[in-house]
Amino acid sequence: MTNSDFFAARDIHEACTRLSQSGKEAHILAGGTDLMVAINRRRLFPHKLIYIGQSGMDAIEVKDGHLVIGAAATHTAVIQSKAVKDHAGLLVDACCSIGSKAIRNIGTIGGNICNASPAADAATALLALGAEVKLVSAHGERAIALKDFFTGPGETVLQPDELLKEIILPLTKGDSRWGWLKVGQRKADVIGIATAAVSLRLEHGTCRDVRIALGAVAPTPLFAAKASAMLEGRTADESLISEVAQAAADETSPIDDARGSAWYRKQICGVLVKRILTAATK
Amino acid sequence: MPVLELKVNGNDCQVLVEHTTSLLEVLREKLMILSPKMGCNTGDCGACSVILDGMLVHSCITPAMVASGKEVITLEGISASGELHPLQKAFQDNHATQCGFCTPGMIMAAKALLDENPKPTEPQIKKALSGNLCRCTGYKKIVESVMAASADNPASGS
Amino acid sequence: MALEVVGKRALKYDGMSHITGQSRYVDDILIPGTLTVKAFRSPVHKGRMKSIDTSKAENMPGVAGVITYRDVPHNAYGMEPDQPVLVEKDIRYKGEPIAAVAAINEKVAYAALDRIVVDIEEEEPVFDPLKAMEPDAPKVRPEGNVYMFGSEPFKKVYIGDIDEGFRKADHIIEETYFYPDMEHSALETQVSLAVPEAMGKLTIYTVSQARNFHLGMLAGILKLGGDALQCECINEWSGKTRSSWRGKTGMNRVRLEGYAVGGGFGGKNELHADHITALLALKTARPCKWRWTREEELLYSTHRGPWYVTIKDGVMNDGRIIARYVKSIHDGGAYIGFNAYAAGKFSYFVNGPYYVPNLRCEGYCVFTNKPVASTMRGFAVAPGTFAVEVQMHKIAEKLGMDPWELRFKNAILKGDQLVTRQVMKDPSLVETMQALAKRAGVTLPDHLMRMTSESNQRI
Repeated sequence: MTNSDFFAARDIHEACTRLSQSGKEAHILAGGTDLMVAINRRRLFPHKLIYIGQSGMDAIEVKDGHLVIGAAATHTAVIQSKAVKDHAGLLVDACCSIGSKAIRNIGTIGGNICNASPAADAATALLALGAEVKLVSAHGERAIALKDFFTGPGETVLQPDELLKEIILPLTKGDSRWGWLKVGQRKADVIGIATAAVSLRLEHGTCRDVRIALGAVAPTPLFAAKASAMLEGRTADESLISEVAQAAADETSPIDDARGSAWYRKQICGVLVKRILTAATK
Repeated sequence: MPVLELKVNGNDCQVLVEHTTSLLEVLREKLMILSPKMGCNTGDCGACSVILDGMLVHSCITPAMVASGKEVITLEGISASGELHPLQKAFQDNHATQCGFCTPGMIMAAKALLDENPKPTEPQIKKALSGNLCRCTGYKKIVESVMAASADNPASGS
Repeated sequence: MALEVVGKRALKYDGMSHITGQSRYVDDILIPGTLTVKAFRSPVHKGRMKSIDTSKAENMPGVAGVITYRDVPHNAYGMEPDQPVLVEKDIRYKGEPIAAVAAINEKVAYAALDRIVVDIEEEEPVFDPLKAMEPDAPKVRPEGNVYMFGSEPFKKVYIGDIDEGFRKADHIIEETYFYPDMEHSALETQVSLAVPEAMGKLTIYTVSQARNFHLGMLAGILKLGGDALQCECINEWSGKTRSSWRGKTGMNRVRLEGYAVGGGFGGKNELHADHITALLALKTARPCKWRWTREEELLYSTHRGPWYVTIKDGVMNDGRIIARYVKSIHDGGAYIGFNAYAAGKFSYFVNGPYYVPNLRCEGYCVFTNKPVASTMRGFAVAPGTFAVEVQMHKIAEKLGMDPWELRFKNAILKGDQLVTRQVMKDPSLVETMQALAKRAGVTLPDHLMRMTSESNQRI
């Protein structure tokens, strides 16, 4: 299968080699739940597809003190994984809110990240989990913080010859708390109007490793650095939570679009952060 | 043009496809399996839902080549040796169809649920069917049908 | 004679077909050699098409035929034939079909669309019906943006003397209600398959909800019977004699076959695709199938048009509505379709199920540069019902009265004359509300539960 327009890579090396040969002519296909929509709507006309759905890039395991999720792991696999449940419950919650069962069965974590929608659910949760991503090409590999991966709506630092290989998460320790809230026009099959993901650890009432991330309220999934720092090392009470929620909302730069207004988005994401923090710090 | 080999409702099939041909196109236009419907072509309505290697998928956004070497089950394939599947019987007895366009996808989504969870609760049914739109019935009788079928369903599913 | 079915449980006769996946919809009909149809649609909301050149599309390998207005024997249809099948000069809404191609597959069809060259002079559109009613608004159509019902710019129904009623009333309660436009979005989109038969005949596999209607329209468009395609009829809501689209001969040469339809809800009451597939089938001598995409369906298919309804009621202290003035503005989009009829129909129902002795309704049908509005569940009545019932709540609120009591008080009784001059013989709002209250677990006071619809029962 050398000149085929549809190349099913048997492993990541084959995929990388093929990608470096095809350059911009080829698109990576994992689950296709974003790619095929673009193709069917005639927004994209890929000459070639490199299929990585059966390349072994879907392993989910605890390795070297980290939780490593293969980019081609489906949302369903992530939701059903004991390792993810134990160390990244926030990701389970976020993935449960993606699409519908049929979408989750075939759509992948890596696809959600690389599609880089500002409203990407898995990506937003992963920001709050302090994820790192490993990018590989035929020439080598690099690891970067997910925070530094997105550059704009639908845009990332991924080079034309690079693949997203895996997502690396720290293991949970201590009293881990989290929350995921998504506001949408229905409870399934929707792009969020605004989403909030929070992860933290409680140490004798003090909040540590606080990470607040927001979706659909900025050009990319947003890591609310100022709001997160505001809570770090402090004890949460009602007034601090309100301050932090407001700070998070202040960091956003939402737009008006068919799903909601900028004004509403700014309001609601503050509400979501407040709700999550109130529940998570009890 | 790649050659796609797959099993559909128990039959081995070989079709020529393009790299971006969807599984829905293969089923409807090449294999004349017409129960999966084109409602939106973007994976939003579920009318095209089929079961691929035991997993519910939207065939309109599944590249056909992804089904290579796999097994597809459609509504035509769920009646064991001419007997109606409990879901089919329940949909008929409980008036869960009106125009019928959502029915194939809806039954496949319900079957995928019962295969995994033979005795679902009502919220579980609703969540499982949340990828399937119906513009006629208001869903109530569909959910009742799935409940009724799960009461009849042998625990192993079929 | 004993009733055999009424009161008994009956299973849906096509249920078995649906649950076994055997139901056949138009897109399931597979005929070898069928061409795929795609439409070239206006990219602008309003404009004039100065020229169109389809030669490059026609010459593409795989393209069997392209049609423009030049290929349409009679390029006007509709309840009052004002709508072209394909744009000849004036573009009235974004997405209006200008040309259509029939090709061997979808890829070629889309590529052919890209090769059609049009010269369009864009003009300023108007979207807001209230703006469209202003004298200096862009003209959606030459006759003006407001439909004339005879000599008046609105459908007028009235009974009694509302000015006198308002003078006598203890309270005046006025409110404007907005009922937004809605899209049916049936799960099956518009689909049409036209198959040329022997001797110039045509079979069209259609999703039409109104096949006899459309048969007549198609005969007119296709001029199947030669020139005898018009008959005079009194257009009742305009009061003028108008020519109709109905072809008197030639309808026997077109056969509309209906299969299972994947939902209509009023969205398949207008010609969307059948006329265009028919023309292409005749031109190419091959079966032509056009399946609208979901995007086309949501953007360009007919939808329920929005209504602005102002209700001004003169109400007595005891809750009786003695005078009602309604001004309704129906935004019908770019063409007449059923919209003039809608404005008229609406005005017959503005009393709701209540007796209002003095009533005047002015129902406007307004044109805007948007796709055509048309029928949808409870056509022209649901928007009015919404306005009337919310108004009842507002009246009850204002008077500090129980909303049930208010409705019983104003219920139509035997012998009441409505604005349509009908004298009610057998009304039953009273009994219906009593049964409803029981069902809803609401205990109504005795005097309401004792009431009947007899004429002497007014409370």
